[in-house]
Amino acid sequence: MLSVLALTSVVLLGIASQTTAIVVYTSWERHALVGSDVRLSCSFFSWQWTSPDVTFSWHYRPDGARDSVAIFHYGGGAPYVDNKGPFRDRLEFVGNPSRRDGSILIKNVDFGDNGTFTCDAKNPPDIAGRPSSVRLLVFEKVPVQAGVITGAIIGVVLGLLILVVAIYYLMRFLVARRVFSLSMSKHGKKGKGKEGSQQKQASFGCDGSGQAEGGSIREEETGVSQREEIGIVEQRARAPEWGCLNPDPSPGRGSGVGEAGQGSYDH
Amino acid sequence: MLVLLAAIFVLHLTCIALLLAATIHNAWWVTGTVSTDIWARWTLINGQWNYTELPDFYPKEYLQAVQASSVLACIFCILGLFVFVAQLYTLPKGKRFLFSGVFQLLAWLCIMIAASIYTDIFHKDERFGSYGASFILAWISVCLTFISCVTYFVLRKKTV
Repeated sequence: MLSVLALTSVVLLGIASQTTAIVVYTSWERHALVGSDVRLSCSFFSWQWTSPDVTFSWHYRPDGARDSVAIFHYGGGAPYVDNKGPFRDRLEFVGNPSRRDGSILIKNVDFGDNGTFTCDAKNPPDIAGRPSSVRLLVFEKVPVQAGVITGAIIGVVLGLLILVVAIYYLMRFLVARRVFSLSMSKHGKKGKGKEGSQQKQASFGCDGSGQAEGGSIREEETGVSQREEIGIVEQRARAPEWGCLNPDPSPGRGSGVGEAGQGSYDH
Repeated sequence: MLVLLAAIFVLHLTCIALLLAATIHNAWWVTGTVSTDIWARWTLINGQWNYTELPDFYPKEYLQAVQASSVLACIFCILGLFVFVAQLYTLPKGKRFLFSGVFQLLAWLCIMIAASIYTDIFHKDERFGSYGASFILAWISVCLTFISCVTYFVLRKKTV
């Protein structure tokens, strides 16, 4: 809220001090390839209505030179294009003064066109303002941007690598999950303990929650030691008949374990 | 076992160092006044070395392929080092270091591609000059990464 107030006050102050100043806008820099056409745009902001006497003028200062030459002028409702200087027959007015657009088009740019273009707009009675400059940079023809192929190759290869690794882990995850759901269904029909994860099955009942998958992956990844432990659990777990066959009125995870009275089977 | 492990680790580090030197250092082709890189060229002008662009007649696609595959070789080798260290801790006894071996294999492939393309395509008809240090390092790292890769594929984890 405070920032909004501050902003409005600054804007109002700015307006109050510049009610008769015109603000000209151009780009900062333009890049072009040799032989292409480049459009230099120029627009302005003014508190007055756009007058029929609005004028635009463009000046050009080559790189390294000190003086600038006038190359374009729009005034009295008509554009006047340079026909003696460096841009003769190459300059075209493509702006719309009634819409405050004073853009020019330079055709077939060459390295000699490197330089600074200055646009000055006047909207009577609003004439006090500063012109704005745009810098033109002309580049050689480059068939492929330097480094595009390099970056593309690197990106594709690394992306493929990540994809392969992700798919590998996903397959392991899915296979383990399928193994567990199969063993669970068998257990549900026959009531016998299959792998050591039986203990986990009991602990979450028959709702097939994600604990089985987590357990199986752990089992696979930690290898031998875990299997030994599971073997022990298996022996212990075979003894009782587990609660999946007998629907237990009291649901919940620990219920199967508690029901059989075998105690805890923490992993 | 510890000595063997240290040796393999040092070998891997050497591979990384050589690959990085080959990719970054600018001495693939040297003459009296020019030292070329795969990225730019150092030219001796008036007693001063200037960093200039590579000449236009270089085939651009091949150059970018060389750049890309040498960078990829560095990346795979460095990743392989981390994977090796991780596998040291997580691999079950008796298993092979396959994952690290795969990374080294990829690094070997990439640097071999880069060195081969550079040897075959560039500087075919230049009379002055010779291959520089980075070029030689690139080929040495081809051999070293291959040895490293085979080592990982053969080595089994035992208790230290």
